[in-house]
Amino acid sequence: MEREHPEKKYVFPDLVFMEFMTAVALTVILLAWALLVNAPLLEMANPGISENPSKAPWYFVGLQELLVYFDPWMAGVMIPAVIIMCLMLIPYLDRNTQGVGRYTFSIRRFAVINYLFGFSMWIALILIGYFLRGPNWQLYWPWESWETIRQAEENTWNLPPLIGISGLAIYFCAGMIIPKLVRIKFYERHGFKRYVLVMLSILLMYFVPIKIFLRLAFDIRYVLVTPWFNV
Amino acid sequence: MTTNIDNTNTSRRNFLRILGWGSFFTTLGVSSVGFIRFLYPNVLFEKPSTFTVGSLDEFKLDKTANYQVYENWKAEHSVWIVREKNRIYAVQAKCTHLGCTPNYFAEEGIFKCPCHGSRFRFNGENLAGPAPRPLDRLAIYIGNDGQIIVDKSRGYTFKEFNKKGAYAEV
Amino acid sequence: MKPNKNIWQSIRYSRLYKSIFRHGYDDTAQNRILQVRSNIFLHIHPPKIPQHAMKIRFTWCLGGITFFMFLVETITGILLMFYYRPVPEYAYMDMKYLEFDVPFGIILRNIHRWAAHLMVVTIMLHMLRVFLTGSYKPPREFNWVVGVCLLVITLLLSFTGYLLPWDQLAYWAITVGTNMIRSVPFMGHEGPFALLNKYHDVRFAVLGGTEIGANGLLRFYVLHIVLLPAAAIIFMAVHFWRIRKDGGISRPL
Repeated sequence: MEREHPEKKYVFPDLVFMEFMTAVALTVILLAWALLVNAPLLEMANPGISENPSKAPWYFVGLQELLVYFDPWMAGVMIPAVIIMCLMLIPYLDRNTQGVGRYTFSIRRFAVINYLFGFSMWIALILIGYFLRGPNWQLYWPWESWETIRQAEENTWNLPPLIGISGLAIYFCAGMIIPKLVRIKFYERHGFKRYVLVMLSILLMYFVPIKIFLRLAFDIRYVLVTPWFNV
Repeated sequence: MTTNIDNTNTSRRNFLRILGWGSFFTTLGVSSVGFIRFLYPNVLFEKPSTFTVGSLDEFKLDKTANYQVYENWKAEHSVWIVREKNRIYAVQAKCTHLGCTPNYFAEEGIFKCPCHGSRFRFNGENLAGPAPRPLDRLAIYIGNDGQIIVDKSRGYTFKEFNKKGAYAEV
Repeated sequence: MKPNKNIWQSIRYSRLYKSIFRHGYDDTAQNRILQVRSNIFLHIHPPKIPQHAMKIRFTWCLGGITFFMFLVETITGILLMFYYRPVPEYAYMDMKYLEFDVPFGIILRNIHRWAAHLMVVTIMLHMLRVFLTGSYKPPREFNWVVGVCLLVITLLLSFTGYLLPWDQLAYWAITVGTNMIRSVPFMGHEGPFALLNKYHDVRFAVLGGTEIGANGLLRFYVLHIVLLPAAAIIFMAVHFWRIRKDGGISRPL
């Protein structure tokens, strides 16, 4: 457990003062922001006319951007649900007890790299969706005019079911087995169940950019087509 | 003898515990069902689901054209009436991707959804973009007085387009 | 100077003042501890903390800022409630009224909106900070879970608030958002393995109808002003309490 730290400071008034000054600074910032920029208010809601483009609030634009690559039940339901579940599991899956209470990379490489990857993907998707998407959710550079209306691409195709299933099976099986063989210590530290959960969440996370890449590079729309759902 | 008494005691205690917790969780369960049911009112104050769109001669077809899309009812009821040679049907103005309202471009004969760029032919068939299936159609029939009636509560997906009710013979 | 000081002194040592504020600013160890211990608002803190936890470049104050944003949202939100009616016929008019006819109405609305954005930013950064400093590790695992719940609640608070202005921006953003609920597997009427029709699926429970309308606006309003803030307060209480109980702000071993 953590041992008593020798250097202790009084909360009053040092910390209280710092907190107070932060609150004051933020109040000033908010007030200035509110005076300078008005919150948006468009015309009254009209179910008959869709805004083009109609964007979700910015913190959900990343998920909306994923709608280009995934069906709604994936982008809007499964992916956020899995993200929340995995976030909640993190402390129970991470067996590395080192690196508490300071910013460190060298002794927590695996955790930090993967977390930062997920975090930056989330931010990147938000930035693309918010700044680079114009009418018809097409890609527009910030300096391009939205006047020229672009069309959605048309020539997408689906992987045949057999290739799709085997591709997914290879991806997940290889992703489960190879790290176990290469990094035996990693496997042993986590134990079977925990190892499976760790690798599953990581494989699921990397599946998102892989699918995006397949779509952008080869126009593949669905990796797996079934009568009930498409991935 | 003492063990016997103990046994009756524990079994009674067990019985009471099961009874107590059982009734607690039953009450909890029943009230959650009630709460969920509370969220689904019996009467909805939405627009009536059936409405008359007019008589057949209001939806004429030019001799040269194969189809004609009528937009008269889009603003009020989010529906396009499409007239083909032998049939008339109601296309729901709601993108099958995420429910935005597409716009009709008469010169191209194409519906375009502004949200994610899906495009549909005049008959609702999906051409491009993320929409997973053609635009849905709504129940349509010709009443005894010759007026065409659309029922929004009954929808048809593309697999059912040839069912009776998904179109009206002309 | 002197008479002034005397007035101040007489107030300072009056029974009334001392019944409210028990401890002055005397710079003694005992008094500095009592200042924190005897104040309901300050005793969220321990009286003494390690120097390490006081470093701004360790915590960046992000959790505190998020909490402060919540307070700002509560205050401005309650004030906005004086003028806002969650009914489709009035909601948009009330927004215009707030913007053009209510003194300082537009400033309150702007602060409410921008602070909400800032809160989402700081909560995400706070999470990043906690991760990078390994502060979710034992014994703080559960507090991380509570924090994830708070993140979800904050996002839902922002999302439900987004509909309330009842303008095109709000209407279509929420249309896109709630249409995703259609495709929840099993429980949405357009998802894989859909079991329910559009009158009985989860989306109906959220909107109180098949389309965004009066019921939906009212439900979002109730969620936004009562249910979600109440949940947030409960989770925040646990979150703050657990920081103390799990050994304070994390520090190097």
